[in-house]
Amino acid sequence: MSSRLRELSPNAEIVSHGAALAVNIAASSGLQNVLKSNLGPRGTLKMLVGGAGLIKLTKDGNVLLHEMQIQHPTAALIARTATAQDEVTGDGTTSTVLLCGELLKQAHRYTSEGLHPRAIADGFDIARDATLSFLDSFKVTKDDNNTLIQNDRELMKCLASTSLHTKLDHDLASSLSDAIVDSIQCILPSNNNDDINSKRPIDLNNVEIMTMQRKLSSDSKFINGLVLDHGGRHPDMPKVLTNCHVMTCNVTFEYEKTEVQSGFFYSNAEEREKLVESERKWLDERCRRVVEFKRSVCKDGESFVMINQKGIDPLSLDIFAKEGILCLRRAKRRNMERLTLACGGSPIHSVEDLEKDMLGWAGKVSEVSLGDDKFTFVEECRHAKSCTLLLQGPNGHTIDQMKDAVRDGLRAVKNAIEDGALVPGGGAFELAAALHLRDVVVKSTKGRAKLGVEAYAEALLVIPKTLAENSGFDVQDSILKLVDAREDSGLAVGLDCKTGEPMIPADEGVWDNVRVKRQCLHLATVLASQLLLVDEVMRAGKQMGKAPEGAEDMQ
Amino acid sequence: MAQSMAYNASAGLSGMLKKGHQSFSGLTDATLRNVEACREISTVTRTSLGPNGMNKLVVNHLGRIIVTSDCCAIVKELEIEHPAAKMLQMAAEAQDFECGDGTNLVVSFAGELLSQTEDLFRMGLHPADVVSGYSSAGEKLLEFLEEMTSEVEGVADGRMKEQLERAIRPVLAAKQLGSEDVLAPLVAEACLGTMSSGGKAAVNVESVRVAKILGGNIHQSHVVHGFVALRGVEMTLTSCENAKIAVFSCGIEASATEAKGTVLMKNAEDLKSYNKSEEKKMEEVIKSIADSGVKVIVSGGSVSEMALHFIERYGMLCLKIGSKWELRRLCVATGSTALVRMGAPTPDEMGWCDDVKQIEVGGKPVTVFNQKDDSGKSKLSTIVLRASTSSVLADLERAIDDGVHAANTACKDGRLVPGAGATEMELSLKIIAFADTCPGLDQYAIRAFGKALEVVPRTLAENAGLDQGSVLAALGAAHASGKKSAGIDIDAMGVATATGIKDETNVLDLYATKSTAFRLAIDAALTVLRVDQIIMSKQAGGGRNAAMDPMAGM
Repeated sequence: MSSRLRELSPNAEIVSHGAALAVNIAASSGLQNVLKSNLGPRGTLKMLVGGAGLIKLTKDGNVLLHEMQIQHPTAALIARTATAQDEVTGDGTTSTVLLCGELLKQAHRYTSEGLHPRAIADGFDIARDATLSFLDSFKVTKDDNNTLIQNDRELMKCLASTSLHTKLDHDLASSLSDAIVDSIQCILPSNNNDDINSKRPIDLNNVEIMTMQRKLSSDSKFINGLVLDHGGRHPDMPKVLTNCHVMTCNVTFEYEKTEVQSGFFYSNAEEREKLVESERKWLDERCRRVVEFKRSVCKDGESFVMINQKGIDPLSLDIFAKEGILCLRRAKRRNMERLTLACGGSPIHSVEDLEKDMLGWAGKVSEVSLGDDKFTFVEECRHAKSCTLLLQGPNGHTIDQMKDAVRDGLRAVKNAIEDGALVPGGGAFELAAALHLRDVVVKSTKGRAKLGVEAYAEALLVIPKTLAENSGFDVQDSILKLVDAREDSGLAVGLDCKTGEPMIPADEGVWDNVRVKRQCLHLATVLASQLLLVDEVMRAGKQMGKAPEGAEDMQ
Repeated sequence: MAQSMAYNASAGLSGMLKKGHQSFSGLTDATLRNVEACREISTVTRTSLGPNGMNKLVVNHLGRIIVTSDCCAIVKELEIEHPAAKMLQMAAEAQDFECGDGTNLVVSFAGELLSQTEDLFRMGLHPADVVSGYSSAGEKLLEFLEEMTSEVEGVADGRMKEQLERAIRPVLAAKQLGSEDVLAPLVAEACLGTMSSGGKAAVNVESVRVAKILGGNIHQSHVVHGFVALRGVEMTLTSCENAKIAVFSCGIEASATEAKGTVLMKNAEDLKSYNKSEEKKMEEVIKSIADSGVKVIVSGGSVSEMALHFIERYGMLCLKIGSKWELRRLCVATGSTALVRMGAPTPDEMGWCDDVKQIEVGGKPVTVFNQKDDSGKSKLSTIVLRASTSSVLADLERAIDDGVHAANTACKDGRLVPGAGATEMELSLKIIAFADTCPGLDQYAIRAFGKALEVVPRTLAENAGLDQGSVLAALGAAHASGKKSAGIDIDAMGVATATGIKDETNVLDLYATKSTAFRLAIDAALTVLRVDQIIMSKQAGGGRNAAMDPMAGM
């Protein structure tokens, strides 16, 4: 068979049957081994050094898979699926890779005894369906109006901190989870019984994540307002303003060239001066309108800030600076949307008919410079519907690490609110599901698929096992303790990563998302079944004249 | 066939990644190697710690020669590629950015913390135990450090020259031993010159400038309350007193339209009259400026020949300043507003300078805008530095930068702690005592942390040529007997009767600088310890060979 392919394409490579399965299993368990040490709050960091020498420190499976430049086809397939998990739910990447690897590993035990992969794949499907329906009965639902998740600050904080603790160190995670809950509460749609409003999805884009490379990471905080990463463009503009009217506009204050080719003809300097003046005239007119408007709205002790999406030329800046207006030009589009949400008011597209209620309001606007970069803080907004998480740290990699973690933390809280339900964390669900499969489903399944279900049950235990391993406890001991505790009490029991003893996640505030678990089960099972059913791996013959890549890297 | 595919299990991680990557994991491969690299870098910089620290000569990739004992400059120019060592470099840079000083403390202390871990690992401690021990010791350290501020009197008022000098002097001494008596008053004077009369004393780092002029010696350096432009004026007239100043950020030339302009001419007459009208227009503008009383024109762009001619004729000075930032500083120094359009300035847009003149310093014409002393008009001070070579100048500039930063910090937080290794020795003893109260495994890490603090007095003694063993013992004894501010006496070498320590050190360090340095150092060390696996992609840019590979030694 392989020789026939050879004839078709002399450079192509194939592996088939048992060998193909072995390749897939080896790759998935290889990837599992790499990611294993990252799982859980006591997992360790990995340091990634990019081609240009850039350093990245991470515990986040998603980041790791993105940065690793995986080339092995099977591993790349798993990595892609796992990162899809991240895109959908924002968490659970590592779990997906681990579960998939473990499923294949368990399947291997049976296939090596001659069982056909198809039988196992069938068993996996039955087990997955059973697990998913078990998940529905296991989750803790909070959709009664009194216990809504968004009304329970403490619960949201637990969710955020569960997610953050797996990605950052302890102190930082605790301080950031408060900030995350603050921002979620800020952007939550108003919570009255008005149906249209409360059904509106939570838009995480309304939380701006701004980074500043200074101070220490513990100085990161929640800001009620926006932080823009540019400043006033004129040296004489005020640096700190209080009680500000904020004008969000999209009006150009620059001379705009005509669309068609045009030019001026003049025959002496006098005429030229006139032309120069007339060119300025319509811009000056625009500036004058804004200045007049400012004078009409600002009372004593109030000030005026203009944030423009388009450009403002130096001459216009000069006019505004004299008036004490702080102008920011070329603001980012997404910030314009957020600004109106944070400060109120509406975006202004022409200076012709300005009205006071188009303006927003901020208690304090200040400019901070950091080396050559300038930042503008628009703070103390009333009823802000958009806010900023300001991440600060002494160097790029700390900031990156926080940024990834915060993103996941926000998603975790959002998911929970949308699900209206939670799953106890700390491996509790996986443990309970494995026991459920073993005790109930295996017995009710007939035929060879039974073996697949058994394998599935065993594979689910990889999560609590890895948690125990990373925390430095004996894996078997911890698992047995957990099983006993679960069987004795019937409660959701998880692993305490500090003591190695069983604990009740609900009491400790360790919560996971329902959709993360569901997605993880789906993806890992589908992927494992697909890989099991592959009987041939072929690689088209480009560049294959050289020695195979893996062999070279092995030295 | 299947073997040639080599998608086999034994290849592990390396079978999956792109060719050319490297990965290291586990305690011996990753953690210990990292620790080693960090120790290496800190042994390089350690000899530069303190006033008696040695200079390093670094030739960077552009072939520029840098002679300095400033740790941040050294690590920056070394172009470190080892990722763990880079952590220390980044910590040093962050410290430089925040406080300007204490960078060597960061690198030395972080390096020492890490090299202490080698023994701990050999004892069988898990990195997690070390991390938890170090972080709890770090918290205690900052607590104890704050207690130390009660030992010495802080800078109560940033406006008092002597008090400010007290904070600046040790910083300068650490960089330029022997010159601190010259430099400290200069820096203090320059900082005081920029302070506004009302409100809390504050120094804006940006408003103290350094003008480096080659030649002469350091004693010829002086402070100008105003601005120094390193170029001459464009005119024959070279000095002017009590001058009103007009600053233009645009060029002084015929204005142009934004859209393309074309001169329409029909005959030679037109050409002649056009030139005439240009001249007339220019004269009008310059005349209007002269009529408003302006004596000095500064332009941020080019000045046309014709404009120069008229400026000369109306008896004004003209100076070109190419850089936008410099122009901005001149505005600050003279209190003028930069104009963006040609034309006469209004009175409040005009600046004022008591004395503008072009002088020659070391054969180089410079223009000095000097405000009379203590007039408080200038928000900017310039230190004119003189020294024999450009590398000395650069080093002096770095020292002054650090000094200004110190003044800035001192105004914000005037608390001081004893220097000369006194604080570190005291903290070391306290941390070791704290370790004895801890029951867990991490007590070993805490003790090692305390031990690591000794690196500062030990290195100071070593660099001063003292016998570090006996000096450290004496210092320890002094602290044990309650002399909390006993420090190393760096002048003790060769004095037979000296013990190498002073019971009451007169060297003082800023509390804010020190606490930031400790925090960053601990942070960097902990980050390095938390890493258990390094995955490096192939170096970008194929030109590198194996010898340049940063991890080749691993």
